[in-house]
Amino acid sequence: MIRLENVTKRYGVDTFAVRDVNFDVVKGDFVFLVGPSGSGKSTILRLINRQERPERGDVWVAGRNINQLSDSRVPYLRRNMGNVFQDYKLLLNKTVFENVAFALEVIGKPGHVISRQVPLVLDLVGLAGKEDRFPNQLSGGEQQRVSIARAFVNRPLILLADEPTGNLDPATGEGIMALLDEINRTGTTVVMATHDHRVVNAMRRRVIQLDRGVVVRDQERGVYE
Amino acid sequence: MIARVAYALRETWASFRRNLTLTAAAVLTSAIALLLVGATLLIQRAFENLLIQWRGDVEMIVFVRSDAMPDQIAYIDSSIRSANTIVDVEKLQYLDKMQTYEEAKRIFVGDPVTLSLLTPENIPSQFKVVPLTEDPALVRSLSEQFRSLPGVEDVALAEDEFQVISTLSQFVRVVTLVMSIVLLVVAVGLIWNTIRTAMFARRREIEVMKLVGATNWFIRVPFMLEGLLQGLLGATVACGGLWVLNSAWTNGVAGFKPGTGISSLIVPSGFLSGVMLSMLALGAVVGAVGSAIAASRFLDV
Repeated sequence: MIRLENVTKRYGVDTFAVRDVNFDVVKGDFVFLVGPSGSGKSTILRLINRQERPERGDVWVAGRNINQLSDSRVPYLRRNMGNVFQDYKLLLNKTVFENVAFALEVIGKPGHVISRQVPLVLDLVGLAGKEDRFPNQLSGGEQQRVSIARAFVNRPLILLADEPTGNLDPATGEGIMALLDEINRTGTTVVMATHDHRVVNAMRRRVIQLDRGVVVRDQERGVYE
Repeated sequence: MIARVAYALRETWASFRRNLTLTAAAVLTSAIALLLVGATLLIQRAFENLLIQWRGDVEMIVFVRSDAMPDQIAYIDSSIRSANTIVDVEKLQYLDKMQTYEEAKRIFVGDPVTLSLLTPENIPSQFKVVPLTEDPALVRSLSEQFRSLPGVEDVALAEDEFQVISTLSQFVRVVTLVMSIVLLVVAVGLIWNTIRTAMFARRREIEVMKLVGATNWFIRVPFMLEGLLQGLLGATVACGGLWVLNSAWTNGVAGFKPGTGISSLIVPSGFLSGVMLSMLALGAVVGAVGSAIAASRFLDV
């Protein structure tokens, strides 16, 4: 589903964000990218959804080399991916329902699809009954659930999560992880960047550890260390 | 498709209302710029009416009496041609009564009283003379000579009649043209800035849109429509202003004595609507250009 081949990305002349990174993620996999801040976790996520392009090497998503994708095709690539962030990136002037519906609306989905899909996904993430709240009226965990609902409403092949539990207390974080696990069980490939030991150790999934842009460990059913 | 169009219109309108002050500034500036453009075109056309007989370096017009015999006309023609050291014979032009009448219809468009007195029968025909020389004294003495020819009603010299107006029109044309170009550039800049501000205000939305896979055109279109709307609104205001100005001018000029040059400084209403249409088109272009630059430049927020 996702393959990185000898991927190198530099900022400036000799600051390597990632260097010669190789890994392969099969469909339905759940992968943690771990490592300290600045080790290149977020860069890898940004390379996968083509917010960045590598200097060397190739990034393959769903069988396509996305570096060769023209800019005008990038939106269609991204329709196969959901993105979840540490700071949720919700639109504060829209309700829960509108935030999720927005993701469908702007890719041109008709109204009847929106009114069917949004309640389904809100139910899935456990926000049924809170459709008309605004983000500021929700707890952090609930806001992250809205953001996950928005990422998943289009049933993407891949879910990219950048520190989704970073702003949450451990109990709330566990709830979010349970939700991501549930989404993973529907067949969605999940790649999650984190430095949250507890989460990684509790899940026992594949762990790719980065240090200053280099992969230092790639382990099935791994722990954080 | 309907959902997309509805989305674009809704977003355009929402953004339009959100930035009311900036929008008003952009609309007013484009209105003033376009009003100047329109006024320039009208003034030019009005002066053109006045100068129409003197187009193409014509410096002297020999008017032939309407009851002149054909052999008298032929004699005048050969007299003018014989002065081939002073007159550019190649450019000598004879307008018969019908042609002169057609010309008069344009000259006296704002002076129906005078025009009604003229018919293709009683109007003088005319020779338009382009001199070779730069020396006005030589042209003048030649005109005295022609005046005494049988069948000649009068000889008019550009120097006497329209030199001042011609210079004035040139000056007005240049000044208003420069001013309207400057103001148009300012209008593009203001619309650009308004759209940029609108996009900055919605950068989070744009970021989310890009991440969930909205196409760039989908994101851009509402902003470009907004700019287009601003340009068109400005043009509409300018058209209203121009109409008011032109009506006031036409009424004012109607008060002058018929037969004076002032009364020909009026443009036909068909020309006015043409100018207004071009103003609307220009307004749309200004808005589209300003917003298109902003929308492509600031999409990477």
